[in-house]
This record gives sequence, C-alpha cells and structure tokens, in this order.
Amino acid sequence: MSTYWEKTGDSFALPFCSQCAQFHFYPKPACPHCGSTDVSQSEASGYGEVYSFSIVYRSPSPAFKDEVPYVIAIVATSEGPHLMTRLVDVPSNLLAIGLRVKVVPRSKRLSAEPLFTIERDI
Amino acid sequence: MISLKEIAIAGIGESPLGRITDMDALALQQRATKAALDDAGLQISDIDGLLTTPLRVAKWAMPCGIVAEGLGIRPRYLATIDLAGASGTAMVHQAAMAIATGQCNTVLCVAGQNLLSFSSNSDAIQKMADAGWAHPELEAPYGPMIPTLYALLAQRHMHEFGTTSEQMAQVAVTMRNNAALNHQAQKRDPIKISDVLESRLVTSPFRTLDCALISDGAAAFIVTTKERARHLLQKPIYLLGQGYGFSHAYIGDAKNIVTTGAVNSGRDAFNSAGLEPKDIDIAELYDCFTITVIVELEDLGFCPKGEGGRFVEDGNIGLNGSLPVTTHGGLLSACHPGLAGGMFHVNEGVRQLRGEAGERQIQDAKTVLVHGNGGVIGLHCTLILGADS
Repeated sequence: MSTYWEKTGDSFALPFCSQCAQFHFYPKPACPHCGSTDVSQSEASGYGEVYSFSIVYRSPSPAFKDEVPYVIAIVATSEGPHLMTRLVDVPSNLLAIGLRVKVVPRSKRLSAEPLFTIERDI
Repeated sequence: MISLKEIAIAGIGESPLGRITDMDALALQQRATKAALDDAGLQISDIDGLLTTPLRVAKWAMPCGIVAEGLGIRPRYLATIDLAGASGTAMVHQAAMAIATGQCNTVLCVAGQNLLSFSSNSDAIQKMADAGWAHPELEAPYGPMIPTLYALLAQRHMHEFGTTSEQMAQVAVTMRNNAALNHQAQKRDPIKISDVLESRLVTSPFRTLDCALISDGAAAFIVTTKERARHLLQKPIYLLGQGYGFSHAYIGDAKNIVTTGAVNSGRDAFNSAGLEPKDIDIAELYDCFTITVIVELEDLGFCPKGEGGRFVEDGNIGLNGSLPVTTHGGLLSACHPGLAGGMFHVNEGVRQLRGEAGERQIQDAKTVLVHGNGGVIGLHCTLILGADS
C-alpha cells in the first residue's frame, strides 16, 4: 500500500473538503471541520512558517544514524494545517520559530515525504 | 450500585526496581502483587477483579488474560487498560467503576515489565519509538525520537512564555532530590542545575537529564469498597474525584501544543471532588520529561498559563515548597518501566496520605492530586485522593 505522500506524487497536496472549502491534515476518514466525506487532495501553496522545531542529536534507530544531527519541525502551512517535517539547508543562526519556509520540490529530494527549507532560497 | 465515594485503595506494592536482570514481566508483576496483598492483609483468592496494561517486552495477545493466568486467578471482571501514560491513574477509576456497579468487590491493578534489562538501552528506546507515538506514516519517516516529540512542545513553550532551560532543569533537580529520599529509586545521586545543563544534548532543547529513565519494575494497588477496606490492615485512601481529557493523538497536527487535555481532566477532577487547586497538599504529576511537569502545573490550575517555569524556579515544587510535586522522584529519577510508570505516582500518593513516606513525608497531607499523561501529552487522567472520605 502506498503512503499518502507517494499517492500525491510531485505536488504538495493536502486533503480539501468540497463542502466547507477547508484544508485539513493529517488525513481523516471525514472532514474534521464539517464531517463531510466529500474530500479530495488539492494542491497547497507549499508556504508556511516554523511552529516548533528540535535538533535531533541521537538517532532513534540505526536507519537514521548517519543523518544526525537533523532538524525535525512542525510547520504551520499557509492554508492552516500543521504537519511534521524536516527542515533542510537552514543556516543554524536563522533557525527559529516563526521562520518563513517553503516545501522543497519533489525533484530536489530523494524521498516522497515533503521537506521544508527557508523561503528565500527557493 | 454504590457511589464512587464508597471506594478505597486498600493496598499498594512494588517489585524490586531499577535494573533487575533475573525477573521477567510476569515475575515482576507477581512480586508487586504479593507486596500489595501483604500490605492490605489479603490473599490472592480475595481478588475478584483484575486490571493491567499492555507492555513492550513480550507479545501478549491479551494482557489481562496472561496476567490472570500467571497469578492464578479467575476474576469476575478483568480488562486491559491502555491510556498510555495515563493508565496508572485511570486504573484506579476503572476499578472503582467496576466495584461501584457490583461487578466485583476487590480489584487488583498490576503492571510492569523488564523494559531496561530486556534489551540494551538503545534497543529499548527503539522499541518504544516503534510503538507509534509518532504517526507511523506521516511522522516516523522523518526520524523523531520520542523525546523529540516532547522537545517540540518545550521549544514552543519557551517561545510563547519565555520558559528557560534552567527552569526545566529545576524540575529534574527536584525529582532527584526526592528520589534521594526514596530507597527504591533507581537514581539517587544528587544533581545540580549545572549538571542538567551540561548533560548530553539529545534533541534540543532536551538534554539527557530532561528525559525519563528506562527501568525494570512493576507496581500494584488494590481497590475495594470502603466497607471492606476498613477491616484490612491499612488506613483506607479514598477516591474523591477524577477526570479525563484528550486533546490530540499526534503532536505534529495538533493546533495548539502548549495547552493540553489536562485542562479538562483537571477541571472534571476538581469539580467531582468539590475542591480547588488551593486545597491540594501534594501533586503527584506525571514527569516523562521536565517540560511535562511545567505544562501540567499550568493546565491543572496550580499557576496561570505560561507561568509554570517561574512557578518551578521560585521553589514551589520541592518538598518544602508550597506544592510538593512527585515526591517519590517520578519517572525522571525513581522508576519508568513503560505504561506502569504512572502507577508509582498513585502508590506515592497513597503513602503520603497514610503518613508512611518516611523522610520525604509531607506533614498533615490530607488531599493529593495524581495526574497521568499519555501519548504526546494528549491523553490525561487526573485523580484526587483523600485521607478522609
């Protein structure tokens, strides 16, 4: 079974409810705002800001051992929903809550999961 | 049907705690059970209800059945309770409900495991990381540790309210001071704020000493009717109020991570007990990370929102403070064997209310709040226990 981000392909698409015209994320069986099941994926702007972050120094499993340290963040998207992600290529002196970020294009990352970087570098 | 006010905790017990290499989960639970039965003056044959929790170290398809079999009991009521870290507090209330409705009379609540010695520390951390605290599909692929999930809360709390690493360190120091007076505790060597601030960075802003231990150990308590408890060995401790609260399953998509379901669990607990925060003598707060205690102090109403760090810094939560917190040393310094961790807070509350907490006894403690927090600070159960019904 493919994951949510594998299904959305190259676009940064979030679940969008046609009944109440609002985005939500993470995916739910029905729109958390109005309960409608008339939900489909719709492309979001990819812009947002850092809601919180943590620099991980110790890998949670051998799979991440070669990647530490890395920055886990919660990004508040411009459309409203929050999501967990990684921040990449953000200078450490600029890393802060409130930093404006943008999703890294699918062509510039290896994995299906979206990553975010500082807005000015896109 | 009887009222929940007619229910009491009649016995408490623990297995050996820390690194216990010669006992598996069932053996630890048997030892805790025996200690609680002896404490109450009961036999295993007196137990007609059983509650336990899931565990990490073994594949138990139905934990309550495995434990019943292991202890040799055939209860009239049994269930596996899973409110994550809030399971310990919730078990008291779930047991009370089973008794109040007449389903059974005397409930053994027991849980615990050899989480530390089952595997190396890093294996244990990975086993917990695999447990789904991070969303398996939308969060885990990015590589957060479990502490990272709480570190995101800590970082945001610092941003919104000016909470400092020193204030969080004060929580760790307080827990260690309390553990130093608890001969069962896993870590008893005193630490200073500078020790916390100089311990290894794990996931910013957390350092090693901001994070809970991993332990081997089990805890048990016995809940029964006030009527029966009066004829047993110990002074009965009463359930005065309780509340549950839920705010989010995952930290990543939560709208507001600095205010939690503890607001609701605390409100309902105080309302059902007819009490207010100022009436509480001791708060046995769940302390999986240092920030957890700060947020709970705020959300349970012991200080205004955003003031938790300063409340701690001002010396309020020590044994001589205005609100002694987690007097046995908690998950940070005493014992953390997984979901059973919150049961030790219940047992400590009972000890304090009986006046049996030894060197760490708070004089004339009459009313204790016990709080459990599960998941990534989204799931809560608050109890208020009293020496008088």
